[in-house]
Amino acid sequence: MIKVEHLSKSFGQNEVLSDISIDIEKGEVVSVIGPSGSGKSTFLRCINLLEKPTDGVITVAGQDLTAKKTNVTKARETIGMVFQHFYLFPHLTVLENLTYAPIKVKKLTKQDAQEKGRELLKRVGLSDKEDAYPNSLSGGQKQRVAIARALAMEPELMLFDEPTSALDPEMVKEVLDVMKDLAHSGMTMLVVTHEMGFAREVADRVLFLDQGLLVEQGEPEAFFSAPKTERAKAFLDKIL
Amino acid sequence: MNLDFSQIVPYIPFMIEGIWVTLQFVIVAIIIGFIIGTVLALFKIGSIKPLRMFADAYTSMFRGTPLILQLMIIYLATPQLFAYDISPFLSAVLAFGLNSSAYVSEIIRAGILAVDKGQTEAAVALGVPYREMMIDIILPQALKNILPALMNEFITLTKESAIVSTIGYLDLMRRAQVVGANIYLNFEPLLFVGLIYWGLIMVLSLLGKWLERRLSVGD
Ligand SMILES: Nc1ncnc2c1ncn2[C@@H]1O[C@H](COP(=O)(O)OP(=O)(O)OP(=O)(O)O)[C@@H](O)[C@H]1O
Ligand SMILES: [Mg+2]
Repeated sequence: MIKVEHLSKSFGQNEVLSDISIDIEKGEVVSVIGPSGSGKSTFLRCINLLEKPTDGVITVAGQDLTAKKTNVTKARETIGMVFQHFYLFPHLTVLENLTYAPIKVKKLTKQDAQEKGRELLKRVGLSDKEDAYPNSLSGGQKQRVAIARALAMEPELMLFDEPTSALDPEMVKEVLDVMKDLAHSGMTMLVVTHEMGFAREVADRVLFLDQGLLVEQGEPEAFFSAPKTERAKAFLDKIL
Repeated sequence: MNLDFSQIVPYIPFMIEGIWVTLQFVIVAIIIGFIIGTVLALFKIGSIKPLRMFADAYTSMFRGTPLILQLMIIYLATPQLFAYDISPFLSAVLAFGLNSSAYVSEIIRAGILAVDKGQTEAAVALGVPYREMMIDIILPQALKNILPALMNEFITLTKESAIVSTIGYLDLMRRAQVVGANIYLNFEPLLFVGLIYWGLIMVLSLLGKWLERRLSVGD
């Protein structure tokens, strides 16, 4: 599903990602963890080319995104992204947030898009909010709408960048529940998270980044109970 | 003090007509300013360097010289350079339109930049092309920042418009001077149009406040 080969990214002189290679299969749920500034967000953002890699090849669903002739805008349709701060469109209602891209980009009819949108709102438990504006929603509700908005494009892959970090503690669960549901439905997911519980419970694999290097990866159970590297050990000691 | 307001009474319709004459060219100028200003703003935030440099130089030039000088150059130099006898109205509209576009481009640029970068990222991540993103997502949000500032620009322009009296355009200001010359009294007509300007500006300010309130409804 995703193939990352020798990915490097520098901002000026600052090398943020160094030579990362990884394969992620269809339906796999992968958690990315690591200290602040280790390059987790940058790694995620390289996968839908929000950041342009300095070096390396990224293939998603069989398409080489880094090739010159690739239409990146088109390719992004198959990659959903959920941000820490939601970034809902404030001037559109909840339902319009969900239908905008399908209508504009996928050329769905308004009716089809709305039908699909309502289905998704039901799925994230917000059917009663379709006419509300984002500013009237709680953080947890916003994030569920953001997830539904990304799903409305029927992506093959979902990227999450710390989707619960901006939420009040009591709202974390409702969002994680939606993500778990999504994981169980077979969606391929790449999740940067500080929620070790989620990583442990839901992820098929954990990637540990530190200072731009993919230091360690493995099954959650093995990784959390017996990390192989000193750096991962030190990191886990600090947070668990 | 010998004030005699009764003397201006016959001239009141003449001076009141000046309101429309003034507003007429200010409105045309602000429309020209808005159109050119939008284009300049898109140049400024775009990635094409020559266009960006052009827009920056344009802005710097028009903001860095007196408006009355620009007006004089257009009115007096056009006949000399192009052998075209430009009318006071056209000169005024051009000078104010071109000048205002420099300010408006800054207003629009700032309005666009004030929209959260995350909005762009969210749209881009959904596969929305640049044009649609600008039109449907970014500009509507930027408008909230832009319209009140644009209203201020309109107000400034209306006040500054009095300098077109120097090229003989029969605006409010000029009319006061004409009346003053006719009745050998200057204070009364000047005071009279002063009140009109003030009233005009108050109305525009109120309109601006109302607009601002309307726009913040979604928050
Ligand atoms: N646009 C940018 N320009 C310059 N430097 C950047 C940019 N984005 C990120 N960086 C730098 O890259 C490094 C990695 O940042 P990144 O956001 O990927 O880390 P992170 O692991 O997501 O951290 P956090 O847990 O705090 O979100 C940091 O040193 C950051 O300062
Ligand atoms: Mg981050």
